[in-house]
Amino acid sequence: MRREVEDHLWEAVAADATGGGLEAERRAVASFGDPRVIATQFAVVSLGTQARRASVSALVVITAVAIAMQARLSWYAATQWPAVSTMATFGAMVASIDRYAFWLAVLVGISAWVYIDRRRIPAAFTEEYRRQLRRFRLLSSVAAGALAASVISDGVLTSLRLLSARSSVETLLPLFSMAVELACAGALVFSLLHMRQRAASIG
Amino acid sequence: MEGEILKGHLDMIVLAALSERPAHGYAVIEEIRRRSAGAFDLPEGTIYPVLHRLQQAGLLASHWVTADSGRRRRVYALTKRGERALAKQRAVWDQFSGAIGGLLGGGRLSQNPA
Repeated sequence: MRREVEDHLWEAVAADATGGGLEAERRAVASFGDPRVIATQFAVVSLGTQARRASVSALVVITAVAIAMQARLSWYAATQWPAVSTMATFGAMVASIDRYAFWLAVLVGISAWVYIDRRRIPAAFTEEYRRQLRRFRLLSSVAAGALAASVISDGVLTSLRLLSARSSVETLLPLFSMAVELACAGALVFSLLHMRQRAASIG
Repeated sequence: MEGEILKGHLDMIVLAALSERPAHGYAVIEEIRRRSAGAFDLPEGTIYPVLHRLQQAGLLASHWVTADSGRRRRVYALTKRGERALAKQRAVWDQFSGAIGGLLGGGRLSQNPA
């Protein structure tokens, strides 16, 4: 944006009837308009763009969590790592929560993306657009919450598995994949909080 | 011309200004001034949020070039979607202005008012 504005101002100075100089620069800046008004108009575009990016990021994060989960399960199968039998009932319950929470995150995440992608960014921050962004943030929050529940469930299930770990090397991939899941979920929550803060500051 | 009247039609005005050839922001402003015979004299900076918003909506595409001055310059062009949107807005405007013209001119209303 800065490069565009600089190019514009220099071109305006070059086109000035006086041929340049401080007076021409002053006129070019005055003709450009009130920077606060322009910044407010830009803020709406920026917020709309941020919302769209956040919706795509959410789907990328959900995919990354799914890959991490699958990597862990494949590792358990490859190393023939048994589950702890004494906690089987509890483990099955947590696995159910994990599964449903994950698919809820997928469903609501896709809904949030479709919703915001179909909304045209308006010229000004209208009440209607505020409502649309609030609905989008609500959908994204539900997706993030469901993903967090899934990641926490994964953490519990991984902890149960680690009880029967035969060596410290065996635990490396499960721990690494959990770190990836936690980082992804954390990044998603952070980006949603940041977007909410920006929307509040535009007012 | 009154700013408030202009605001509601700025998207269409910018699309129309880019309909003949791609242009950068300053050239778009100059084209609007030229084709409106000076009737539309916008604060120049207001063009950039419009250009970025129309690009987000898929109606414009942009790329960077190096101008004769050596500065990097962003050039905007209508996409196919932008051409369709402009054609649609032109049709709506023609119908609207025809109806208003009929009313202000004191003639009969057209068979198909806007």
